Amino acid sequence: MSNMDNKIVTLPEIATIEEIKEEIQDVKTFYIKFDNPEVQKNFKWKSGQIVMLTIFGAGEAAFSLPGAPENDRFHLSIKRVGKVTSALFELEPGDKVGIRGPFGNGFPFAEFKGKNLIYVAGGIGLIPLRSSIVHALQHREDFGRIIVLLGARTPNDLMYQNNIEEWLKIPGFECYVTVDQATADWKGETGFVHTLLDKANVPVDNTMAFVCGPPIMFNSVIGELMKRGLREDNILSTLERHMKCGIGKCQHCAIGRTLVCTDGPVYTYKQIKTLGEEI
Amino acid sequence: MYLIEKNNVMKLAEELAKSYDLYGPVIDNETKQVFFNKVESASEISLTAEIPALPPKTVVFPQIERITQYKYDKVGKKAEIAMTYDDRSKAIFGIRPCDLTGIIVLDRFFLGQEFVDDVYKEHRKRMFIVSNTCVVPFKQCFCVCTDSGPAADEGYDLNLTEIGDMYLVETGSEKGKAFAEKMGLKPAGDEYIALKKKVIDKSISLFEKVATDNKAWISRIMNRVTTGFIKDEVWKHIGNQCFECGACSFVCPTCSCFNIEDHNRFDGSTDRLREWDSCSFEGYTKMAGDHNPRHPVEDRRNKRFFCKLSYSQSKKYLRPGCVGCGRCQWVCPGDIGLPNVVTYIRREITE
Repeated sequence: MSNMDNKIVTLPEIATIEEIKEEIQDVKTFYIKFDNPEVQKNFKWKSGQIVMLTIFGAGEAAFSLPGAPENDRFHLSIKRVGKVTSALFELEPGDKVGIRGPFGNGFPFAEFKGKNLIYVAGGIGLIPLRSSIVHALQHREDFGRIIVLLGARTPNDLMYQNNIEEWLKIPGFECYVTVDQATADWKGETGFVHTLLDKANVPVDNTMAFVCGPPIMFNSVIGELMKRGLREDNILSTLERHMKCGIGKCQHCAIGRTLVCTDGPVYTYKQIKTLGEEI
Repeated sequence: MYLIEKNNVMKLAEELAKSYDLYGPVIDNETKQVFFNKVESASEISLTAEIPALPPKTVVFPQIERITQYKYDKVGKKAEIAMTYDDRSKAIFGIRPCDLTGIIVLDRFFLGQEFVDDVYKEHRKRMFIVSNTCVVPFKQCFCVCTDSGPAADEGYDLNLTEIGDMYLVETGSEKGKAFAEKMGLKPAGDEYIALKKKVIDKSISLFEKVATDNKAWISRIMNRVTTGFIKDEVWKHIGNQCFECGACSFVCPTCSCFNIEDHNRFDGSTDRLREWDSCSFEGYTKMAGDHNPRHPVEDRRNKRFFCKLSYSQSKKYLRPGCVGCGRCQWVCPGDIGLPNVVTYIRREITE
């Protein structure tokens, strides 16, 4: 089925890094354009999907798509962690990369209509949620409250600060931020991100929660949300796994009975609980 | 159905070798072990050899293969990239039913899911398969427990069954039929249906006496593997025995997990290689930044046997993932080949 939707399945398409933006320490955003105009025109994705990015000479790895599906530039926000990302950080505008995808299920947005959307992100956990947040804000009238709760280690680790300032101009957008360790000039909240749930007075009825971040943050936020009465199947997350093929063959991303590349990366907490692995 | 005299049967292989790269079971001169190799001449092939040390999945899914080649000129900002498919026509001569079932499983997995695996598809596209009925089982065989032998039911172009001093030649495809006609094979009478059945019944009856190494009543445990009603202690016991060497995956006709690595060459180009991998390796699920969601070895063992013996995985294969070849039991240094694991689960052995 999906084989036909203009997906780049087997051979990576060559693309050019047009612009690189420093985000926070060890995280950069790369704005990328396909060299083939036909491919550029047909490359469409859903919020929550992933691509396989080839860095020539280093290898290929999976990254979530932070861009919104409509009216947004194709870009990837990536943290320098391993071999492929270190090679990527050596690249400059004008350098070529390879792209396959998009892969994965994405967020089932049709089911969210009329609901409140709560996004809870820890650190760079905001990257895979950005697409969905921007999409929701572009269709503001389709949703109830749109709340972003953001936690980071320090104020310098807050992702997409410029974006958040832009979003805050949209009526009805709510954003609460906290850091674990304040710096001298930090005037905001301190503490873990789940402490923001009260402050935001988050709704639970007719509400979907999107949670993404390190495992310890994930578990505490889920616990607090459930305590407030949010149902397990109304809590969503996107999982990351070591991936080699992106098309359900290499089996590296197998978790429980599913593959993150084709059955995920978006799972409800109800599903995650049955997978039998760490987040 | 056709007939060919025993001493003429290799003429089929000789004819295939004219238009295909020919692969078959070969008794290696130096090691005296059986390998399923590419041969220069049909005469190297032995139809009576025991099942090969490595399954013929190597022909459709090589241990290491280049799938893509690229070159990036960083100064000129010019990238070239292309797939490097194996587009040879290959004939497999004398594959045993268990191993053929392995290829059928791989077909369903690589070609029949949401995505088609183009690399695998190219291997399979121009292939001619001649299977060989096991008129006697070997010591390690348990295909009767996994419904994958001693005779092949599907997946072949030609199937050979030794009956007296003749080989019965059955055709399983238009391609096979055309080849049999071209070779001018003598049609076999209907009496050969009964004769073949007799040969197979005899082979099955020999399992009790000859194939004494392994038994695996997999149907008895598939439900429990699927639903997870297996004591943690059983997995722990199996995990404790595991050396994490990956040998079981490498010799398994249906194991198809792979890794992809980019290998830089002196001339500035890069080969993207697809290589066998195994879920028993600790680094299999490890991510950059040192996070590994799958920890204990029993978890990883559990994954492999889930893959072979659960209904959910069987949905992808349209049959169980185990084909009863017995190789894993043969190579496992920890004595936890699949037949033993089945026994442990059945008897709830925990120490």
